[in-house]
Amino acid sequence: MIAGKAGDGVLFTGNVLARLLKRHGWEVATYRDFPSNIRGEPTAYTIRASVFSRGGLSDEVNILLAFDCEAILTNLHWVAFNGLVLCDGESFMAPPHMEAGGKSFHRFPLRAMAREKFGQEIFKNMIALGVLSYLLDLDCEVLKGIIGEMFLERKGEEVVKKNTLAVLFGYERAREIIVFSERYPLAKREDKDRLLLSGDEAIAFGALASGCRFFAAYPICPASEIHQWLAYFMPRFGGIVIQTEDEIAALNMVLGASYAGLRAMTATSGPGASLMMEAFSLAGMAEIPAVIAHVQRLGPATGIPTKTQQGDILQWIFGSHGEFPRIVLAPGTIGDCFELTVQAFNLAEKYQCPVVLLTELDMGQNYRTTHEFDLGDVRIDRGRLLSKEEMARLKDFKRYELTVDGISPRGLPSYKNGLHLVESLEHDERGYRQEDDAARIRMMEKRMRKLARARKDVPSVREFGPARPACGFITLGSTLAPVLEAVERLGEQGISSGCLQLRTLWPFPAPEVEEFLLRCSEVFIVENNYSGELATLLASQVRSLREVRQILRYGTRTFTPREIVEPVLSALG
Amino acid sequence: MRNVGNMRTKGIYHLTQPTWCGGCGLFGVFEALKRAAAKVGLAPEEMVVVTGIGCHGRMNNYLRAYGFHALHGRVIPVAAGIKLANPRLKVIAVSGDGDAYSIGLGHFLHALRKNISLLYLVVNNRIYALTQGQASPTTDLGMVTISTPFGTKDYPMDGLRLGLAAGGTFLGRGFAGEVDHLAKLMVRGMDHNGFALIDILSPCVTHNKQNTYRWYKENIFFVEREPGYDPKDKNRAWEALHRPDRIAVGLLYEEKKPSWEDLLGLDKSRPLALEPLSVRREELEKIMENFR
Repeated sequence: MIAGKAGDGVLFTGNVLARLLKRHGWEVATYRDFPSNIRGEPTAYTIRASVFSRGGLSDEVNILLAFDCEAILTNLHWVAFNGLVLCDGESFMAPPHMEAGGKSFHRFPLRAMAREKFGQEIFKNMIALGVLSYLLDLDCEVLKGIIGEMFLERKGEEVVKKNTLAVLFGYERAREIIVFSERYPLAKREDKDRLLLSGDEAIAFGALASGCRFFAAYPICPASEIHQWLAYFMPRFGGIVIQTEDEIAALNMVLGASYAGLRAMTATSGPGASLMMEAFSLAGMAEIPAVIAHVQRLGPATGIPTKTQQGDILQWIFGSHGEFPRIVLAPGTIGDCFELTVQAFNLAEKYQCPVVLLTELDMGQNYRTTHEFDLGDVRIDRGRLLSKEEMARLKDFKRYELTVDGISPRGLPSYKNGLHLVESLEHDERGYRQEDDAARIRMMEKRMRKLARARKDVPSVREFGPARPACGFITLGSTLAPVLEAVERLGEQGISSGCLQLRTLWPFPAPEVEEFLLRCSEVFIVENNYSGELATLLASQVRSLREVRQILRYGTRTFTPREIVEPVLSALG
Repeated sequence: MRNVGNMRTKGIYHLTQPTWCGGCGLFGVFEALKRAAAKVGLAPEEMVVVTGIGCHGRMNNYLRAYGFHALHGRVIPVAAGIKLANPRLKVIAVSGDGDAYSIGLGHFLHALRKNISLLYLVVNNRIYALTQGQASPTTDLGMVTISTPFGTKDYPMDGLRLGLAAGGTFLGRGFAGEVDHLAKLMVRGMDHNGFALIDILSPCVTHNKQNTYRWYKENIFFVEREPGYDPKDKNRAWEALHRPDRIAVGLLYEEKKPSWEDLLGLDKSRPLALEPLSVRREELEKIMENFR
C-alpha cells in the first residue's frame, strides 16, 4: 500500500508499481482509496501481486509506504503481522528503525533525499519506486523501460535520465537500510498475452473495437476515464467525442447520432444517470439503439464521488417514466468489460433499444491484469438496419412495423424511399402520432416483444464451484472478486461453496437463478449497497423464492474476502 | 447545399393539411419553410426536421421530410447529434418559446457558443398554447394567463439579445404574418455555416389575445429598412434589439466564423454515418499495446 495525501503522487507511484509487477509476470490488482479533493486529504493505493488472479482488495497488506506520518495512523490497521512500514516522516520523532506490535518501521526521508540529490521534491516518487524495487527484488531494467515509455516521447531524454537515477538511488539506499529478512522477493515470471487495465479503459477499448464512432458525455467521476480515453483514441478512427453541457444533452445527442447511423455511446455516474433518465425513456419509445455505461459511485445525491457502491441497480431496470424494453448488463471482470461492451452495441442495434453497462468505481478505476482481448472474436451485428439499396427497393417502408418478434426495419435519414417520423409520442407503424386504444396496445406489445426475444441472446450467467454447494453466493459486478476469494477460503475450511455471477440483470435470467437456488443448501446474496437491490430484484422475478441471506456493505469501500467469509461462518454456525 | 439550378416546388414538402387553429402563426411558418426549402433546392430526404413539444411539434405530421419529434426542450442536442453524424444533411431544429427559452435554455446557449450548423426556428407565441395557455418566458409582464391569474410577475426575455451575448453568428427575427420575408430569412439561415437562429413572432389566436397580428404590425420594424443598417455591426444589432418602442425584425446580425463541424474536422463529402462500419484490427492491436 502506498499512502499519503492527495497531491503526493500516490496514484502515479502506484500505477508505475502495478505496471512493473505486471511486467514481472505477476497477476496484479490495484485498489485506490481517494478523497474527492485535489490536494491535502489522505489517499491510499493498494497493489496486490499474486500467482493466480485475485480481483480486488485484500484483508491486509505486507508493506505500507507512507508519504507522511498521518498515513501510518490512518492505514496501520491494514498492515499484516510481520509487515513492514516505511515512512517519509521528517517530523517523525521516533528512531529510524523500530519494532512495534509485530510490525517493523523504517524512517525513510524520501522528500529530503529528493531535494538534496535531485533538487526537487517530486523525485520522491521515483526514489520510492527504487526502494520498493529493492524490497520486492524487482528488475530495475524493467522499471527503466517503463520510465522510458512514460517520459521519452513527451519530456525527452534528460527527464528519463534523471528519473532513472532517482530510482537507482532509492534502490541503493534501501539496500543500506532494509535488512534482508524484511524483503518480499517476487521472482520474475513469464509475462505473455496479458494486459493490465481498468474497467473504464476496457469499456472504452471495447467501444472502439465494436465500431462505436460517437461518444458524448459530461465529465463525472468515476466515468470520466472512458471519456478521456476515447477523446484520445477515437479520432484515429474518424470518430467524434463531444463534451456536452450536461448529461441530458449527452444522451439526447447520442440518440441523434445513432438515429443518423453511428454506433453511439455515453458514460456517466450518480447524478448524471438521474439526468439521463428522461432520454433513456425516449430511446425506448423511439426505438433508437444507444449504449450507456454507468460506473456507479456512492450516493445518494453527490454522495462520495470517489468511493464505490452498487446502489443504482434498480434505477436502470425500473427507472424513468413509462414502460419500455431495456437491457442491463453487469460486467464482473475486466474481460467482461470488454466483451459485454461488444455485445452491448450488437444488442442495442439488434433490439433497437437502450443498453446499459452497469459497473462500479471499483471496477472502473482500478487496474487488473487480464487475458489479451481476442479481437478476432469481435462480430458486428447491426440487426435490421437496411442499406440504402434495400430501402430503395422497398415499396412501403414502415419504421415501426408490427412484426412477430417486435423488431422493425430501420433506415437512415438521406435514404430515398425511407421518409419517416421518429416520434416521442405514441405512434403508428409509420411513426405518426396516434391515441387509439387498440393501436396503442398493439404498439406497446410490439416494443415489449423485443425483450422476450432478447432473453435468449443476452450474456448468460456464469457459475463457479461445485454442482451442489453447501453455500451458494449470488453476486454481480466488482463484488465477484471478493466473493470468489471467499469461495476459495471456505473451501479450505471444508465448506463447499459456489457462486452465480449475473452478467445480465435485465431481462432477468430467472430460470438460471431458480435452478441455482434449488441446488444450494444456503444462499447468500452479496452486494455493495444498503437495501439489497439485487435481492429485491431477485425476489420480484423468481418464483417461490426460498429464504436467502444477504451480505451487504455500504461503507466507503468494497468487501474484503474476510468480510464475506465471516458472516457465512457465523450463519452456518 | 444550395443548388440554384435545382430549385424545387414547395409542394413536394407538403404531406398533409395542418390542423392548427385557424389563423395560427404556425401556418405562416410552415408555408415559409416549404418555400425556403424549395428555393434552396433541398430534397426531402436531405432534410431532417427535429421538433420539440408544443404546437410547433405537430409540424412533423404535415411536412414531408425526415422527422424527429423529440422531448420537450431537447431539440438541439438531438439535432446536433444528427448533424455531426451526417453533416451533409440539412438539419432544421424547431422549438417553441417554452422549448427554447425555458426548459431547453442550457442547450440553446451552448449551441450558440459552439456554432453548430443548424437552422433553429423558435416559433415564439409568447404563451404555452398546447397546454392551454400558461405564461412562457416571453409572456409580457403582468399578463393574465391560467397559470398567472393575477398577472405574471416575471420580466420577459429576448432570445436574440441572449443570442448576441452568447456568440451567435446568425441572428434573425421573422414574423409569421410576413411569410415572404420569413422565407427569405430562412433561406439565408439554411446557407449559413454555423448556428442560425430565427426567432419567429407567431400569434396564438386562441390563448394570447394581447400579441395579435394587428399588435405585431403596429409594434415591429424591419431593420433592412433602417438607413445604413449593417448586420455585421454588433453594436447596431444591440441597439436595434433594445429599442423600447419597437420590436426589431429582419437579419439582425451575421458573422463568419468556423462552425463546429469545421473545428471538429468533419468530412462533409463522406459522412461517417453512411460509411460501412469497419473495424481496423491492426490499429486496435497497436492500441492494445498500451495495456501491456
